[in-house]
Parts: sequence; C-alpha cells; structure tokens
Amino acid sequence: MKPQLHNIKRIGSGLLWVGPNLLGFAAFTLFPLLFSLYMAFTNWDLTRHNALMAQQLGEQYEGPRIVGLANFVHLFQSPRFGEYLGNTLFLMLAIPFNIAASLTLAILLSKPMFGKASGTAKHVRIILAGFVGVFGLGVLIMLGLRIEATIILFCTVLTLVLALGMAGGSTLYRTLFYLPHFTAGVAVYILWKRLYSLSGPINTTLAEPLHKATVITNSTPAILFAVAGGLFFIGAAAVLLWSLRAFARTWRDGELGTGALVIANTVACLPVVIAVAWWSGSAYGPLRIMPWLLVAGGAVALSVQIVSLRRRFTGRPVQTFDGFGSVLLSALIRLTIMMVLMGLGAFICQLPLHAAGRDGLQPPDWLNQHTWAKPAIMVMGFWAALGSNNMLLYLAGLSNVPPELYEAADIDGASGLQRFWHVTWPQLAPTTFFIFIMSVIGGLQGGFDAARVLTEGGAGTTTLSYFIYTSAFVDLGLGYGSAIAWVLFALVLVVTLFNWKIGNTYVND
Amino acid sequence: MTDKHRGIWSSVTLHVVLSVMAFMVILPFVWMVLASFKTGDTVYSESWLPQGPWQFQNYGDVFNIQNGRGIDFDRYMTNSIFVAAWVTFLQVLTSAMAAFGFSRIEWPGRDKVFLLYLSTMMLPGLVMMIPNYKLMITLGLVDSLPGLIIPAAFSTFGTFLLRQFMLAIPKSLDEAAEIDGASKWQLFWDVILPLARPGLITLTIFTFIGNYQSFFWPLVMLSTRDRYTLPIGLLMFDGQASFSGHLLMAAATMSVLPMIVLFVVLQKYLVKGIQLGAVKG
Repeated sequence: MKPQLHNIKRIGSGLLWVGPNLLGFAAFTLFPLLFSLYMAFTNWDLTRHNALMAQQLGEQYEGPRIVGLANFVHLFQSPRFGEYLGNTLFLMLAIPFNIAASLTLAILLSKPMFGKASGTAKHVRIILAGFVGVFGLGVLIMLGLRIEATIILFCTVLTLVLALGMAGGSTLYRTLFYLPHFTAGVAVYILWKRLYSLSGPINTTLAEPLHKATVITNSTPAILFAVAGGLFFIGAAAVLLWSLRAFARTWRDGELGTGALVIANTVACLPVVIAVAWWSGSAYGPLRIMPWLLVAGGAVALSVQIVSLRRRFTGRPVQTFDGFGSVLLSALIRLTIMMVLMGLGAFICQLPLHAAGRDGLQPPDWLNQHTWAKPAIMVMGFWAALGSNNMLLYLAGLSNVPPELYEAADIDGASGLQRFWHVTWPQLAPTTFFIFIMSVIGGLQGGFDAARVLTEGGAGTTTLSYFIYTSAFVDLGLGYGSAIAWVLFALVLVVTLFNWKIGNTYVND
Repeated sequence: MTDKHRGIWSSVTLHVVLSVMAFMVILPFVWMVLASFKTGDTVYSESWLPQGPWQFQNYGDVFNIQNGRGIDFDRYMTNSIFVAAWVTFLQVLTSAMAAFGFSRIEWPGRDKVFLLYLSTMMLPGLVMMIPNYKLMITLGLVDSLPGLIIPAAFSTFGTFLLRQFMLAIPKSLDEAAEIDGASKWQLFWDVILPLARPGLITLTIFTFIGNYQSFFWPLVMLSTRDRYTLPIGLLMFDGQASFSGHLLMAAATMSVLPMIVLFVVLQKYLVKGIQLGAVKG
C-alpha cells in the first residue's frame, strides 16, 4: 500500500468517529463564528432586510450591505455602551467576595469532623441532635421567648439541618451549599424577585431592626457617626498606602516585574476610584469616567512609589510580569478589605441623614432603585456562587496540599491564621487564579438571565449581554448586535490571552 | 488529634457553624415552599407559615388554565423534558464517538482538529447566537422545538470532558482487545464506554440540567405559547401573575424539585466531573 493512500485511510477511520460531532461543530460553531464577523460589518436589520416581509408587502427585497466600521463607530459613540460596560464591571466587583466565600466554605468542609456514621451510631446522633434542638427550644420558651410560629419553624429547620449534618458529615453540607448553584435558573430568579419585592420577606424582616436603628440613631449625636465613618475611611486609606508600599517593596526586592506592579497598583486603586465616581455625579455619568480615573489612580500610585524608592533604585533582572499571579491575588484581597471598610464608612456617615427623615430608615425598593438594584443582584449572585463549582475546585485543591507542610507548620508553632497565610493560601494560589480568570470571563458575558427576570434591564442592571439581546433580538438589528458581540469577544480574548501568557508562567513558578 | 476533648468540641463547633450557614443558604427555598401553600393575599404576610389551612389545591390550580389563573404547566414541562432529553441523547452520543476518535485512534491531523475544538471553548456563546438565529430562520426552524435541539446537540465541552475520562483508561486494554480480534466498534462499545461510565453520567446530568434550564436561546426562538419550555412559561406566568404569587411559588417549587432530587441522587458523579472538567487539557 502506498503511504499516501494509507494516510488517507487513517484519516478516514478517524473522521468516521469524529465526523458527526465535527459536522455539527462546523455548522453551529465555526461557520456562525465567521459569519458573525461578516455580519458585524453590515447594516443587517431584520425589520428592513426580511425577504418574507418584503414578499408580503409586494416590495423588492433588498439585501443587507457592507457598511464598514459604521456599527463600531456608532457603538463607541453611543453613551449607552459605556454605561452598560460600567454596569457589567460593577456587577463583577462581587467576584472577590464570591471567591472568598467559596474558599471559606471549602476550608470548613475539609476540616476533620465526626460524621458519616452508619448504623446505630447514625441514629443515635440524629436523635441526639434532635433532642438538643428540642431542649434548646424549650429553654428559650421558658426564658420568655415569644412563641411565634416562624421562630419555631426556623428552629425546627435549623435542628433538622444539624441532625442531618451530624449523620451525613461534610457531604450533606456540601450538598446543601451546592443546591443554589445547581438550581439557579428562571424559577429561582423569580423566587428572588418575590423575596426582594417591596413588601416581600426581606423587607418585612428588615422593618423592625430598621425602626429600632432609627430610634437609636436619632438619639445619638450625628457627629459620632461622622467620626466613626471617618475612621473607616482612614482605615481604608491606611490599607491602600500599606498595599502600595508592600507592592513597591517586593518590586524593589526583584520579586515583581514592572508590568505586574502597574496592574497591582491599578487594582488596589479601584475602590477609591469607585468612591470618587460615586460622589461626583448622577447615577449614569460616573461609570463612564471610571476607566480614566482608574488609569490616573494607577499612574499616581506608580509615580509615588518610584519617587519614594528612587534613591535605592537598581536595575532589576526580572521580567515584566514576574510574580503577577500572587501580586494580583494579594491586591484583590486588599481591594476587598478596602471596599468593605469604605462601604461601612459611607453607610455610617449617611445613617443620621436618612434616619432624620420623616419616615426614618425604610427598607429599599430593591429592584427599582438605581442604588440598590445592582447590590441586590450581586447578593443573589453571591448566594448562588458561594457553594458552586468554585467550592468543589477548592475542596479538590485542599486535598492536594501535602500534609507535611502542615506538620512542619505545627512544629514551628504556627497559629491557625499563620497556617492559612503561609501554607494553604500559597498552595491554593493556582486554583484561585484559575477560578478568578474563569469568573472574570463569565462575568463579562453574564448578567442576562438575572436582569431579564428580575428587572428587565431597568435600574442600571443592563449588562453587555443584555445589550446584545435587545439590539439583536428585540430591535432585530443583527449587524449591530454582532458588532457588540465582537467587542465583548475582544474583551474576553484579552483576558484569555493574559491568562495563557501569564497564568502559565505563574503556575510553573 | 492528640487532645481528644478538644477534638470533639472543635468538631461540634464546626457542625454548628456549618449547619447555621447551610440553614441560611436554604432559607429562600423554605420560603418558596411555604409561600406555595398560602392564599393569594397572604403570600407576603409576616408569618412564614401559612395562617389558616394549608392551600394544597394551589398545586392543582397551577395546571388549571380554564379559570384563567393557572398556566399550561404540564405542556411546558413536557416540552422542556423533550428538548433536554433529545439534546442529551444526541450530545452524549456524538461527544462519546468524537472523544473516542480523539483519544483512542491515531490519525494524521487529529491533534490539530482537537486544538481547534479547544480554542473555541472559551468563545462567548453570544457571538454565535446571532448567525445561528439567522440560520434557523433560513432553515425554517424558528419557533420550533427542533430549532432548540439541533444547534445544542453538538458540544465541544462534552467532547473535551469525555476525552479526559477516556485518556485515563489504560492503552493496554486496546491492545488486548485487538489481539482478541475485536473491531474498533466492539472496542468502543464493549470496553471503553463501560469504563467511561462515570464520565458519561456526568455529561448526561450536565447536559440535561443545562438544557432543562436553558433560557436565552428558547427566549429568542419561541413565540408560540404551545411550544414554550418551562423557563419561558414561568417568565410569562411571572408577568401575568403579579396578583397570584402563591401559584407562582407552587410552579417554581415544582420546577426546582426534580433538579434537587436528581442532584441528591447523582451528586457523587457530578463532583468528580466538575473537578476533572476544570483541569486544563
């Protein structure tokens, strides 16, 4: 047999297996991909370029024309693009919190606990836990707890969870934590829409504490709140300065590339930029100027660092993005701390103002107010994300940490926190980095389902994917929609390439 | 643990912390189920438990379209299951065959084609949706269930996942089967598929749930009421039923419940699959 013929036969035998999938792949992935690039440069609009409609109206059908970059020009000139991109990025601020929650749950679940009993021991434990629950409830009632059906219900459910957990061990908890992610869909979003409604259970629960808070706030001098809030802001500023110094020091020590330093600085400046943007204008405007503020913040930080380190500046043998992964993760931790501090500070400062109003502190109309709609969606996302695949990946990562490292840490007398920072966190860094990149990619494309069901894109919840949906499938501008999709694609591609280039060198460290 | 007492107490603390967290996570579901037993005007009452008799007939009323309050729930459910089952069947079959072709058969150009597969896995699905919509218009499949099934039936992710599982099966089995005179088909059907069963189950659950929940594509494609899938039906119900939250919660409970059961029964496979699927290939 000739070698060439032999080769063709071998390709044939391979294609026999791959063929069906490959055909579908070509028809519904590869071809649409190329075709959508073409569409992005046309004025394709189904309300105008519709052969069927033209036939009915008895008109001459006129196909779409290539219009060059017109769609992109139109897109970048439209103020809506900046606003929707800003919305998307704002919702992505939940990512560090989601990751932190997943990590916390995974660490708790991986601790040794008694559980997974079988036979008699299992039943004994269930009965024991049930007994503890009932006994506890009885004591509470005797101590003068007002017996309300809802409280009894909560205690019962809690006891049930505890009893099952005693019997099932970490598997049971893992199952419960994973449920929100697994069931997340229209049904669950509709449920949250009801939870958030003006008279829904969340607001009902908040009403009483808010009433008490109003009374307390009004009887306290307002200056105290200003001072307390100010302290939180000073704390956030201290964290920022401390972070910038820490980054600069690792850079000077030659463990960090300049490119990595610039990015870490920019990430650390993000909370300040958001705060500035928040106070500088209306609900729409600030998100548009955020990118520029961010660049400016990063530049200021860098120049301060360079000036303060100038005297000790020596040539660095490191590459631009060396140490990128670890500095990015550490910047994200600091960013999360700063956001919490500043959020609390702003909340405390504004408390007297709102409490002094005619109705005192009122629970918000979550899904219809610009201030609250995005946080509401982020909280729902947090609920769905905390026990998600990320938790499972962390569990797998934790089981791969060599136990010798913990033993060594124990011998050195490390505390629990030290064990975490010096063993667990560095060992999990590749997992964290992977999860972070995946969350960013998902976040850029996300937000459609929740926005469509909960707010229909109102109150500043329209993300880029929602924008594509309305442009292409509601307004039927297929060309324009494709152009937005390709801009989104470009953003995702940047993150992906970044991950390939830097993530790989990082994981090999 | 050297100190046994400390071990027990830290274990108890751990159980308490975890059960409180798990309790808070499942609270929304608790509210959903309880609200589905309330009457229409007490859905938002302060008490979580229904005051007065539990309205079990709510679940029947969801199906009752005659009185204008319910929806065609069983039809939507059937449509969803029909679509999800067909997609799952086709996707698992074609993915398994392709994974076999990519992992067990040597052919020139194999790795290049697989690289092409891998490189499209990161693409935003939104980019492909607009041309696919146009394609469905051209093929006359808009507003039909086959229009939901066919584009979803071929998966690069499924191929990738099953290839991961098949790579873990030792090559020596192939040689042994060859010596016994087995054909490639017999190798696939009698040796590889049974050994890759955990992978097949994982992909089956992922695909089924993903398509049962699928929202964007059906929302774009469907306009006839009879062809709605469950998510679209629920969305429309949410729009028209602002006055009857109790029925809405009953419908939501009924659409979430099958998934919870499925997950609890099959979670062993899912956990494995998720951890394996995230490994970079």
